[in-house]
Amino acid sequence: MKVAGSYTLPVERERAYELLQDPEILARCMPGTERLARTGPDEYEMKMKMVISAVQGLFAGKVRLADQKPPEQFRLIVEGSGKVGFMRGEGLLTLVTAHSGTEVHYEGEVHVGGVIAGVGQRLLDTTAKIVIRKFFGKLVENSGQAQQAMVASLPPPPPTVTS
Amino acid sequence: MIPQNFEYSAPNNLNEALALLADGNAKVLAGGMSLIPLMKLRLAAPEHLVDLGRVADLRSIREEGGFLHIGATATHYDIESSPLVRGKCPLLAEAAANIGDVQVRNMGTIGGSIAHADPAADYPASLLALEAQVRIASAQGERTAGIEQFLVDALSTALEPGEIVREIIVPVEPASAGVSYQKMVQPASGFAIVGAAVRVRKASGKVTFVRVGITGLAAKAFRASAVEKLLEGTAGSAADVQKAAAVVDNGVDANTDLHASSGYRHQMAKVYTARALTQALLRAS
Repeated sequence: MKVAGSYTLPVERERAYELLQDPEILARCMPGTERLARTGPDEYEMKMKMVISAVQGLFAGKVRLADQKPPEQFRLIVEGSGKVGFMRGEGLLTLVTAHSGTEVHYEGEVHVGGVIAGVGQRLLDTTAKIVIRKFFGKLVENSGQAQQAMVASLPPPPPTVTS
Repeated sequence: MIPQNFEYSAPNNLNEALALLADGNAKVLAGGMSLIPLMKLRLAAPEHLVDLGRVADLRSIREEGGFLHIGATATHYDIESSPLVRGKCPLLAEAAANIGDVQVRNMGTIGGSIAHADPAADYPASLLALEAQVRIASAQGERTAGIEQFLVDALSTALEPGEIVREIIVPVEPASAGVSYQKMVQPASGFAIVGAAVRVRKASGKVTFVRVGITGLAAKAFRASAVEKLLEGTAGSAADVQKAAAVVDNGVDANTDLHASSGYRHQMAKVYTARALTQALLRAS
């Protein structure tokens, strides 16, 4: 199954790139992530609990970053498996400076197998889109907070002198 | 396969049911047409099921002040065969008659269907065209949500933990109105590849009222307002219908699966919208 699309993050490109590489931010934004631990350079171990309607799936897997060209693009490779099935996804994320921040374009392929793919084929595409949309939605939220934190950490403006 | 062990409660009235659900950990069982297969495949493993099957007053269908109140556990067969629904809200009866197969229609319920929120389910198209209201109950009380607010996303609704669908409220259709539900069916599952539900009214040769709901095309069913606007005020000729149906998929990110690619769904949405509009206009007087 191919996935492609783009979302706009309200921060500049360098910051957007940092956000997308930050395991803490990613763990907070990936729906259902319970744990994301670094196991090597650009490699992470992940535990996820996906809840979609009545279906609950626990997945354990790996996240890998590759082909990094900061702040332009990188490749994201995700692998996971659990009782209900397995998934493997690979995507290229490209960051482009835009008028209102940074456009993140993604293009990749997701393979899903096991019971979940057998019976849920009809819903896989829709579900993948929802997960991606939730991820970027959270990322936009978090990038907003990160920016506010940045503003807050700036020295206060000099007091205006009134006479 | 055999499902994982679970606790089972079958309350006899609504208050008892709501009390059992109040902690938000139990799962509601209505007709079980989606939940039970998921449990048997062990894709779902709820620890506690609250079966609404014995709550008799949840299954009633009644008319009140220009609206029909359809109880959440009314089965698809109850709805398709109810003289009240057939006579006063024929679009909903037509949608119910098009669901799945006989077994599913005998067991499946309208509340269960909309609470599951399958993106290809039949009811949402009609309920959107009907501008239906959903009455939601919990141990804390009741609230009402429009169907558009209720359907949040594929498999996701505005129901909070501890809440259930109590009834669905649809308007009584004027006798002169024309309605139609046209569906391209996926033969194995009975779900809609695309489905278009239409209500129209005519007065002195002009189309005065159009409502269009589309299911199966996108992640959730939606109202096709662009089609409605284009057709309202026209004479409702074949050319008017084609022109209006052509914009049904504007700006829509169409689903894709084994049965139909997104491009094919885009095309079929136009075809089935045109068919539903044509038939509804023929039926309107």
